[in-house]
Amino acid sequence: MRPTLERLRFIEHHLLGQPSAAEAADWRAQQLTDPALAADAETQRQLYQALHQAGRAQLRRELDLIHARLHAASRRRGWLQAATNSLRRLLRRPRP
Amino acid sequence: METSASLRHALLTDRERTLTLIYQRTFPMVRHYVQQHGGAATDAKDVFHDALVIFYEKAVDESFVLSASVSTYLVGIGRNLWRRELSRRQRLPLTGLTDEHAQLEAEEAEPVGETLAVLDYVARLGERCQSVLLAFYYFRQPLEQIASTHHYQSVRSATVQKFKCLERLRKSVRAALAAAVTV
Repeated sequence: MRPTLERLRFIEHHLLGQPSAAEAADWRAQQLTDPALAADAETQRQLYQALHQAGRAQLRRELDLIHARLHAASRRRGWLQAATNSLRRLLRRPRP
Repeated sequence: METSASLRHALLTDRERTLTLIYQRTFPMVRHYVQQHGGAATDAKDVFHDALVIFYEKAVDESFVLSASVSTYLVGIGRNLWRRELSRRQRLPLTGLTDEHAQLEAEEAEPVGETLAVLDYVARLGERCQSVLLAFYYFRQPLEQIASTHHYQSVRSATVQKFKCLERLRKSVRAALAAAVTV
């Protein structure tokens, strides 16, 4: 991967992964020699936060669709039941 | 009874079908509870969607342990959310909140100016990039699955693409920040 992508991966591992003690020490050392690292990590943290909110909004849209579909199906079932109720009553009536 | 692993697998591999099954089975119980406690059908829907969001985020986490049935779990969350909503409406102190609900409340309150601005840039990403990033970072799909559903030749290609999309997002955010500073 390109160096910029490797840097994103490095920061991601620190923010979302489970860095070992040695990796955590390496992170601290890099911060001393790379003053932009902390700012880059903060930007990346904001990206993850926004992606989380965007994902949540998408999940809510999917739930709205499921709700609308199930609601429409239950209304169709209700209409069919009402339409066939008289027929059912007729069939249930005991024969003389 | 479903195990945490089988539930997680079902949510990751066929989210729409799994959520629809859970919805069919559990929404009537939550709606009954809310309507019995002074709420309308639309309140029940809102509460249930909030409960499902909390539930999804917990269930796809590898550390999640399902200690009761999905329905029991969701009805429990729904009841607590509805009690909280009633308390809010009656302007009474919050009662009966669990840690999970307090956490959701804090997170929902969190999107301050910065996150909202970045959210705009997520919406402006191409459909493919948005789909890859949300699949990985929110829906927690494994890269093997992302590679397969997005037709990448390998997991490595999917990984590279994911970071390229993240880089695009970062660049657009940075460009906007730089423009804001120079104005």
